[in-house]
Amino acid sequence: MKLRSLFAALAALAFSAGAAEAASGTLTVYTSTPDQAMNDLIAAFNKVEPGVKVDFFRSGTTEVVNKLQAEFTAGAPQPDVLFIADATVMEQMKADGRLMSYADAPVQGLPGGFYDADKTYFGTKIIPTGIIYNTKSGKPRPVSWNDLISPDAKDQVIMPSPLYSGAAVIHVGTITAQPDLGWNYYEKLADNGAVATKGNGGVLEAVASGQKAYGMIVDFMAFNGKAKGSPVDFVYPTEGVSMVTEPVAILKTAKNAEAAKAFVNWLLSDAGQQYMTVQGYIPGKAGIAGPAGRPAATELKVMPSSAKDVAGESNEIKKHFSDLFGG
Amino acid sequence: MTDGAVPKASAVRVTAPRISGDHTLAGIAAALVILLCLLPMLRLLMEALLPGADGSLPLESLNSRSVFRAGTNTLVSSFASTVISTLLGGGLALLIGLTDIRGKSLLTLLCLLPLLIPSQITALAWIKMLDVGSPARVAIDFLFGTEANHPLYGGGGVSFVMGLEHAPLMFLAIAAACRALPCDLIEAARAAGAGHRRVLFTIILPLLKPALLAGGALAFVSAIGNFGVPALLGIPGRFSVLTTLIYQRLNGFGPSVLGETAALGLILAVIAGIGLLWQRWVIRRAPALRTGGPTGPILPLGRGRLLIEFTTGLLLLLLTVVPLAALVGAALVPALGVPLTWETATLENFTYVLTQYQPTQRAFLNSTLLSTGAAVVTALLGLVLAYYGELRRWRWMRALDAMADAPYAVPGIVLAIAEILVFLKPLPMVGVSLYGTAWILLVAYVARFLTLALRPLAAAVKQMDPTLEEAARLAGATGPRRLVNIVAPAVRASLMSGALLVFLTAFNELTVSALLWSRGHETLGVMVFSLQSEGAAGAASAVASITVIVTLAVAAIATLFARRLPKGTLPWMP
Repeated sequence: MKLRSLFAALAALAFSAGAAEAASGTLTVYTSTPDQAMNDLIAAFNKVEPGVKVDFFRSGTTEVVNKLQAEFTAGAPQPDVLFIADATVMEQMKADGRLMSYADAPVQGLPGGFYDADKTYFGTKIIPTGIIYNTKSGKPRPVSWNDLISPDAKDQVIMPSPLYSGAAVIHVGTITAQPDLGWNYYEKLADNGAVATKGNGGVLEAVASGQKAYGMIVDFMAFNGKAKGSPVDFVYPTEGVSMVTEPVAILKTAKNAEAAKAFVNWLLSDAGQQYMTVQGYIPGKAGIAGPAGRPAATELKVMPSSAKDVAGESNEIKKHFSDLFGG
Repeated sequence: MTDGAVPKASAVRVTAPRISGDHTLAGIAAALVILLCLLPMLRLLMEALLPGADGSLPLESLNSRSVFRAGTNTLVSSFASTVISTLLGGGLALLIGLTDIRGKSLLTLLCLLPLLIPSQITALAWIKMLDVGSPARVAIDFLFGTEANHPLYGGGGVSFVMGLEHAPLMFLAIAAACRALPCDLIEAARAAGAGHRRVLFTIILPLLKPALLAGGALAFVSAIGNFGVPALLGIPGRFSVLTTLIYQRLNGFGPSVLGETAALGLILAVIAGIGLLWQRWVIRRAPALRTGGPTGPILPLGRGRLLIEFTTGLLLLLLTVVPLAALVGAALVPALGVPLTWETATLENFTYVLTQYQPTQRAFLNSTLLSTGAAVVTALLGLVLAYYGELRRWRWMRALDAMADAPYAVPGIVLAIAEILVFLKPLPMVGVSLYGTAWILLVAYVARFLTLALRPLAAAVKQMDPTLEEAARLAGATGPRRLVNIVAPAVRASLMSGALLVFLTAFNELTVSALLWSRGHETLGVMVFSLQSEGAAGAASAVASITVIVTLAVAAIATLFARRLPKGTLPWMP
């Protein structure tokens, strides 16, 4: 290990003209990316930046952010980089003055609105939430969000909780912002016996194992489960989907800003965006082909909502949801 | 001289020509107790009762559907679990205490085993025992029809497993009372021609009533504050109780809801406080049974003895040992749902948590260091408190005893909120925050478990022959010197067993750690809980299995130290 780092240092010195900022040291990332996916992602990143040792803390977005909020209050935030599901939290962090503006970030090719205009956070991929269903349950294939409140779906629906998942905060915020759905829709879900679990992983497990016939879930998890042979399929409902972009941001308090920038650079690079595809995500960058059989970012029908609106109401959303479904 | 006067602040002036070693030592101990035990509790009270930053009263925020539901669930499940603990622990205590059943020491050991196994591990073990594909689950599905959900997820499972977990409390209370039953009363009844049933219902049970009520109160209070069982069985079953609601609120909303959770915690503390006061009141009112106890079995089992022995043994194995075996079994299979055979068995999960997965590796180290630290600090602090309080009989030092009790009497989650309230913001003057470091865990452990180390020490110091210490004083030895050279060696067995008890309890701690851990400062209890809830069941089982093995080994060592101690010094040695 020592030899390798010595070599890396020598190499960095030798090529200092070409790669003026070869990053090194430890990079601490707080993320909501699942453990295994994060380990794989770090391995891919390290092929480009072997000098950076990435150490990460992983939980649901909501838990990650609250842990971080507590650290802010304590005056000792640990992470250099925040890499979580939804932009609402980033808006909040930005408003609190926690995020560093990375003016030189390589945003070429990213659609507008995919990253913050002040360059404090950057979307890394497109993650829509739709409906997963068990293909062996004998229940009809769903097409609309309203199919989850039909008699066929009685006691058969499971969904992630916004008290844990960031994508779920956006999802509940988006659905409840639609005039045809609203909180009324969630009241009906509760009456129909729908239940909430912690994260999207729990939804996949419940639907794949046949405990529940239907679930609300982020698309990549459903497709990854299907690819592994689970009896599930995924539907983008007719009304449209909600969407998160798993933004990445560098904290103002980052101890290793160089490594943090290198990490952001790689995530936004062509190689990084192609790697998203390998993990089953729809990349955000124009010109990068998505996973086979999936709609391109531009073809998705997304229900309208704004990150800023949801940010203002996220506590209300969580409270209302927990009153209806517990947890 | 050791008059009981409270030293004035001015007595500790820096310019004072001589500060007595006694006052320095006692002052440090007192400062620690006030800082660690009293201050957080007061801070919690303030936060819960005073209006928050926006001017609203935290107690008002409790008027919501989810709080009402969690409160009802807490009371119902705690009551149901107390009934189970009473029937199981009480019944077994009667059987072992009153009859001529054989193998009493082995049966007692099995009855008390749950004391050593932390709630989250018991819950996990039961999840594993009844997982899809297990023989027990096949039987349940056959009897009650196939149900997709785990049969223990929900209120029933929470009550049942808490009932098992707290049955030893009832067992200990009844067993102790059985040993003190006045046999003259029973013999008189016998002589008057009363049968077994009549003796049991008209003499024995009425005499045991205070013990029954006291044990029940303890089991109820423990259930109110339990977090491990509802966290593993209640959260996935959408059955929320106050402890899990507090945990989920803090994790879901962050520090902004601290005031609200403090109010929730206050409610929990009040319920627990009522239970404990009632328990003390029952004990105080109970007639003192000071006889030597029955000399022989009061209720011989007669012809059914072999059958009863067999059934009891089987039941205890099923309730305590088999779930642990299922836990180890679950750690030995490569993936969920794979049946355990010689071919499929693998140590992969163990190598993963011990050599590959950094958070669990850190957790083993952290829990070991933290519980060792807590054991050393509580033992030393307890020794000082016991010496000045019980031997030197300084009244103000004895007042600290009650303060040291408070963090253990309240539910762990309440102490955790209190610690966050005190230590989240950077400390005044030094400008450093304890939150996000391992220190906040150590501070919380010391506060919570101080009383565990103090109680056996106070008892031992009180019983010590005072002449030795007196002689040393006359020979001119200072107070601290007498403490180190005379008192400490005399009570070393209590010191060691108290420290080991703290080590064991802290090593398995979940409730306090669940709110105070941070990245890099994971603990074993937290890892079992989070691995299980992230779906890494094999790894969770492996961590739990290793923890159980370490716990049992340390308990065995503690038992060796406690052999010459009065009975009851260690909870599992009645």
